[in-house]
Amino acid sequence: MTVTADGLYQLQPYLLFGLLLFCLGLYGVLSRRNLIAILIGVELMLNAASINFLAFNNFTNPDATTGQVVVLFIIGLAAAEVAIALAIVLSVHRIRHSIDVDELKDLKG
Amino acid sequence: MAVATGLLMALTLAGAVLAVSLRNILHAVFGLAISLLGIAGLFFALNAPFVGAMEVLIYVGGISVAMIFVVMLSSVVGKHAEESSRRKLLAALIVAPLFAGLALIITGTELGDPPAYVRGNSPEAIGEALLDHYNLAFEALSVVLLIAIVGAIVIARHNPSDTPPGESDV
Repeated sequence: MTVTADGLYQLQPYLLFGLLLFCLGLYGVLSRRNLIAILIGVELMLNAASINFLAFNNFTNPDATTGQVVVLFIIGLAAAEVAIALAIVLSVHRIRHSIDVDELKDLKG
Repeated sequence: MAVATGLLMALTLAGAVLAVSLRNILHAVFGLAISLLGIAGLFFALNAPFVGAMEVLIYVGGISVAMIFVVMLSSVVGKHAEESSRRKLLAALIVAPLFAGLALIITGTELGDPPAYVRGNSPEAIGEALLDHYNLAFEALSVVLLIAIVGAIVIARHNPSDTPPGESDV
């Protein structure tokens, strides 16, 4: 870790934090069976990526807007993804009366 | 500043742990909301107040609430069984090496000195960047959102012929 004149260089804590958040999200995706719980894990992973983008943007990039624009795109895409995914969850629940991924094995319901 | 940032990180991680571990799926969504609020605070700490505000509006105010709606509509609250410990162990075995490897890379990398730039992070600057340099991506994203809205309506629309024969509509 580099120490500069104006104090501790703070990029690394943010990177480790983002990594931890990403791993928690991945753990949620892998360990859960409920479709909505898997979606929660995906959201955590997307937010970990956002944190990384803003950390690098804040500490290394001369143009302050680049990382923020990328994060706005991530938020927009996440909104689209959640809208589609929740519609699929509702549809699956209506047809199968369950949103447990272990019970969703058929290609044609 | 460092103390506030550390507290926000702890809050976010605590919410994330709740979100991936709680059995009741409604409580897990609340954990996600706590985590997202912490992340919005970190965005403020990272010199991006506009993005932090958008995070609160869209994630906490929109996405979390939509998830709560779907949890209640699909009536799975409390009905979900505990995940098997074998599945949890397998997931941990996949995630732990990834975390260890990437953490070693992050801590082992020598990062250069931070630049001493004067930052312009106003909404005006972001708006100019969006409509100037990133205009194509911006317009593409609006098309994606439009298609997602229409697609979500089409998928979620109630269609009686979807119901298997012999079962009544819910």
